Amino acid sequence: MFKLNLKIALRNLWRNKGITAINVGGLAIALAAFILVMLYFTYETSFDKTNPNYKNIYVVGRIYPDFKTNYTPPPLGKAIKQHFPEVEKMGITKGIFFELVLKNGNNTVFTNNFLQADYTAAEILDLKPTGGLEKPAGDVERLSYLSKESMKALFPNKTDNKPEMVTVGSSLMGIKNKINGSIINNPHSNVTFDGVSIGNELGQGENYGHNNYTTYLQLKPGTDVANLQEKITRLYHAELLKGETDRETIDKIKGISTFLDPLANQHLKPKAGNDAPYKILIALSVLGILILIIACVNFTNLSIAQATKRAKEVGVKKVMGAFRFQLALQFLTEILMQCFAATVLALILAELVLPGFNNLFLLKLSIWHADNGLIWQLPLILFLITVIAGIYPAMVLSGFKPALVLKGNFATSKQSYWLRNGLLVFQFSIAVIFIIGLFIINAQLKYMRSQDLGFKAEQVVYIKNIALFSDPDKFEPVREKILKIPGIKSATVATGIPNGTANGTNTYTSNGVQASINYLDVDFDYFETLDIKLKEGRFFSKAFKTDTANSAVINESAAAKYGLSNPIGQTIIGCNTNYKIVGVIKDFKDRGFENATQPTIYAIKDPCGNPKMEIMLKIEENKMADALAALKAQWPEINKLDGENFRYAFLDELYGKLFKKQEQLQSVFFAAAVLTVFIALLGLYAFAKYITNGRLKEIAVRKILGATDVQLLKLINSSFFILVVIANIISWPVAYIVTNMWLKTFAYRIDFPVLPFVTTTLITLLLTIVTVSIQAKKAVNANPVDALKYE
Amino acid sequence: MIKIEKLEKVYKTEEVETTALNGIDLYVKEGEFVSIMGPSGCGKSTLLNVMGLLDKPESGSYKFIDTELLTLNDRERSNFRKRNMGFVFQNFNLIDELTVFENIELPLIYNKVPATERKKLVNEIIERMNIVNRSGHFPQQLSGGQQQRVAVARALVTKPKLVLADEPTGNLDSSHGNEVMELLCELNETGTTIVMVTHSSHDASFSNRIINLKDGHVISEKVNKSRNEELI
Ligand SMILES: Nc1ncnc2c1ncn2[C@@H]1O[C@H](COP(=O)(O)OP(=O)(O)OP(=O)(O)O)[C@@H](O)[C@H]1O
Ligand SMILES: [Mg+2]
Repeated sequence: MFKLNLKIALRNLWRNKGITAINVGGLAIALAAFILVMLYFTYETSFDKTNPNYKNIYVVGRIYPDFKTNYTPPPLGKAIKQHFPEVEKMGITKGIFFELVLKNGNNTVFTNNFLQADYTAAEILDLKPTGGLEKPAGDVERLSYLSKESMKALFPNKTDNKPEMVTVGSSLMGIKNKINGSIINNPHSNVTFDGVSIGNELGQGENYGHNNYTTYLQLKPGTDVANLQEKITRLYHAELLKGETDRETIDKIKGISTFLDPLANQHLKPKAGNDAPYKILIALSVLGILILIIACVNFTNLSIAQATKRAKEVGVKKVMGAFRFQLALQFLTEILMQCFAATVLALILAELVLPGFNNLFLLKLSIWHADNGLIWQLPLILFLITVIAGIYPAMVLSGFKPALVLKGNFATSKQSYWLRNGLLVFQFSIAVIFIIGLFIINAQLKYMRSQDLGFKAEQVVYIKNIALFSDPDKFEPVREKILKIPGIKSATVATGIPNGTANGTNTYTSNGVQASINYLDVDFDYFETLDIKLKEGRFFSKAFKTDTANSAVINESAAAKYGLSNPIGQTIIGCNTNYKIVGVIKDFKDRGFENATQPTIYAIKDPCGNPKMEIMLKIEENKMADALAALKAQWPEINKLDGENFRYAFLDELYGKLFKKQEQLQSVFFAAAVLTVFIALLGLYAFAKYITNGRLKEIAVRKILGATDVQLLKLINSSFFILVVIANIISWPVAYIVTNMWLKTFAYRIDFPVLPFVTTTLITLLLTIVTVSIQAKKAVNANPVDALKYE
Repeated sequence: MIKIEKLEKVYKTEEVETTALNGIDLYVKEGEFVSIMGPSGCGKSTLLNVMGLLDKPESGSYKFIDTELLTLNDRERSNFRKRNMGFVFQNFNLIDELTVFENIELPLIYNKVPATERKKLVNEIIERMNIVNRSGHFPQQLSGGQQQRVAVARALVTKPKLVLADEPTGNLDSSHGNEVMELLCELNETGTTIVMVTHSSHDASFSNRIINLKDGHVISEKVNKSRNEELI
C-alpha cells in the first residue's frame, strides 16, 4: 500500500513538475531566509552563554534622575560583597580606550581596548589565558595577556607559553613591558578586548567619586534579585551619606538608585544603553516568521489548486474502501516529502547567501556549527511547516465525497474566499511597504552621494599620529618636510577631522549674545586642504602674525547665531581670549547628513582646546601612490614620535563610513523587497491558478459566445487588479509614516517623494498582470470544446 | 446554405489515432431543421464542433453561403462564429455566477451591441421563452428544462443564421425535453436554420431531415415527410 502511494505521489509530483518546482522552490527560499534569521537570532541571544555562571552574573548600574549608567566606583562592589552573603563573587573591570603601540623587533600591533580586570572579575567573566587563569602575587603584580591574534603577529614563531618582553610606543621611545601570555578574545561575549591585564585588586585608594569601573556580581542560585537591588541602593545611600550634612547634597544622593542588570541582557537590551539591537532582532524575527508562514499558506493554496486533479483518485479509493485518515496520511506524506526537499534546498541557498549576510552585518555565522541550534531547530521546523502547509490540503483532499467527485460535480467552497483575498492583500501590502521603503532609501542615499558637502574629502589623506602639534611652530618643520614630497599640495593639523565625530562645545560671547557653540582648533591650510568655501573675509594666513594669537574664523551658522550681519573685524570672546573674526566660511557637512552643521568657531590658538594631533594632507591623485610610499619611507624622520608606525586612511573612506548604516539598511530592504514580492507573486500565482481552474467552463462558454482573448484576460485579471490596488492603498499610510520617520533622522534630506508610491503601484500592478496572465493564458488558449466535454 | 465536402478529422493521442470524421459530405439548406443520429462515438459531436468552428478538420471544405470557412484564421473564425452561430449544449453550460438575464446578455456584449438595445433584445427573448419571472435567478435555482430554455435563449438572442444543438434534451425528462423541442421548432419556423445531434428518434421526428452517421461516414439520409408537408 505504502509503496503504491509513494508511486502515485512521485508520479504526481513529476507530472506537475512546474507546480512542484514552484511549490518547493518558493518554500525553500522563504525557509532559507528563515534559517538566516534563526542563525542570527541564536547568535544574538547567546552572548556569553558559554560562561558556566551565565544565569547568575549581574552588572551593577546606577540610575540618576536623567540617565542610567553602568559605571560604578570601586568601593561599592567591596561593600556589597561585605554585606550580602547571597553575593558569591564580586569583581571589577576598567577599559583603556586609547591606542597602545606594542612592538617586538619589526613586528607591531596596535591595541585600542586593553582591559583591566581584578582576579575575581576574570573568574566571573571566565577569562581564559592559555595555560589557565593564574592568580597574581601581592598587590602590585599585573599579569598581562595579549589576544591570540596580536601575540601571533608579534611572535610569529612562538610555540611555548613563556612570558615575553615587548616595547610599548615607538622603538626610539622604548618602554619595555612584560606580556605573560596569550588569551582568547571571544567576540561572542559582552566583554571583548585586545588584551587583558589582571591584578589582585583594582582601584585601591579610589573612593565613591571614581565612577569609572564596571562591577560584576555572581549571585548564589535562587537569589531574590529585586530584593538585593533594593538592599544595594540602601547600602549605596548609607555609604555616600556618611558625614554628609548639606541638605541639597543629601537630596541629590537620595535621588540616585542602583540596579542589577543580568549579563544575559547586556548585548541586546542593557538597562543603561539602548535596546535598538533588541528591537531590530525582534523586527527581523517577526519578518522571518511572517515570510515562512506566508510561504506555507501559499504552499497550501497551490496544493489545493491542484486538488481537482486528485479528486478522482480520492473518489475511486474511497469507493474501494479507503478510510479518510489513510488518505489524509498519504497526502501529508507527499507534503512532507516536498517540505523535506525544500529544507535541503533552503540549507544550500542559505549557505550560498551567508557570506554576503556575514559581510553586511560584520558577523561570522556558519551553518555547520554544532552550537547554533540548527540541529534540533531544523527537524522541528520541517515538522511545523509540514503541519501548517499540509493539514488543510490533506483535509480537503481526503474529504471529497466520492459520489459527487465521480460524477464530476466537483466544487471547492467559497467560504475561504475572504481568507484568500485577505491573505493576498496582506502579502502585497507587505511587499509594497518594502518596495516603497527601498525606493525612498535609494533616493536619500543618492541624494547623500550627490549632494555638495561643502568640502572635498577626496584625495585627502588622514595620518594617524600620536605626537602633539598644538603650537604652529612645532608643526611648521613637519609641514615643510611633508611638502617637499612631490604631489602633496598642502598639509595641516587639527583637533578633529570631518568624519562625523562631534566637536567640543564652549561658551563664546559676541555682539552681546552669549551662546554655547562648537569649536575646532586648526592650523594653517586647514580650509585649503579640505577645500572649504570662503563666504567673506579670509582664511588663516602666515602673513598675519595675529593669526597664531587671536584670529578666528567662524561659519555662517555661528554668524547667524550671534546675529552678526557684518562679522569681519568683530570680536568674539571665549576661553579668556578676545578673538577677532577674520573670515566667515560657508557651512559644510562635517557631521554627515544626520546631524546639522553646528555653529562653529575655528582658531589656531585656543587655551581651552585639546592637543592637535590629526594630520591631513591633500595629495594629487595621480601621484598618490608615490607620495604615500615616500611618506612611509620618510616618516621616522619627519615625525620621530610615531617613527616607523606610519598609518593613514583616506578621508573620503572615513566619511563614507557614515553611510554604512544606511547602506546596510538598503541591503536589508532590497532583500526583503525581493523576497516579499517573490512570495506575494507566488501566492498570486497559486490563487490565479485556483481561480482559473474553477472558471475553465465559464471561460470556454464565453469564448464560444465570442469573447476575444484580450477580453478574457481582462476578465480574469480584473479581480486581482482590484486586490492589488487595495493592497497598495492600505500600505501607503504605513509606508508614509515609517519612511517619513526615517527621513526625519536626517538633518539634510530629500523632500518627501511621491514618485515611489506611484512607481510601486505600477510595478506591483504590472507584475500582477504578468503573473495572472501567464496562468490565465493557458485556460484562454485551450480549446473550449475540451473544457466543456467532460463535465 | 451549408456545403460540406470530404471532411476528415483525426484525433491523435500518444497511443492511437482515431478517425472521427472520415470523408463527410453534407449540405444544409437555409431554413432547414436537420437531425444527426448515430451510435455513440460515430463522430456526431465532432462534426457539430467543426460546423461551429470550435474544432479544425484535417482536410475537406466547409462553405457557408459562399464563404470557405476552413481557410479563416482564428480571429476571423471567432468573429464569424459570434455573428452567425448559436450553440445549445446537452449540459446547458450556463455560467453559474451570472443571472439568467446576464447569461443571455453575454453574447450581445461580445457582439458589441449597445446597452439599451441589449436590454430590449434580452427582454424580448425572455418573454418569448416564458421565463420572465426568472430573469434575476441564478442557473442553480432553475429546473433543467428552464436552464435549457435559458441556454436556447442565449443561443438565439443574437439572431444567428445557424443554431447548433448537441443533444439538447439529453439531460432532460421527456416533458421538459418536449418543451425544448417545441421551442426549437418555433424557432425553425421563423426561419432559423438548425442542426441538432440526438439519440432520440422522437426528437428527430421534429426535423425535416435525418442524417445517419457511422464510423465517421454518412450512411443514410431520410427526409421526414410529415414535417415537410406541414411546412408546405
Ligand atoms: N479530444 C479527443 N481526443 C481523441 N479522440 C477523441 C477526442 N474527441 C473525440 N474523440 C474520438 O473521436 C470519435 C468521435 O467522437 P465524438 O465525440 O464525435 O462521438 P459522438 O458521436 O458525439 O458520441 P456520443 O454519442 O457518445 O456523444 C470517438 O471515437 C472519440 O473517442
Ligand atoms: Mg457526442
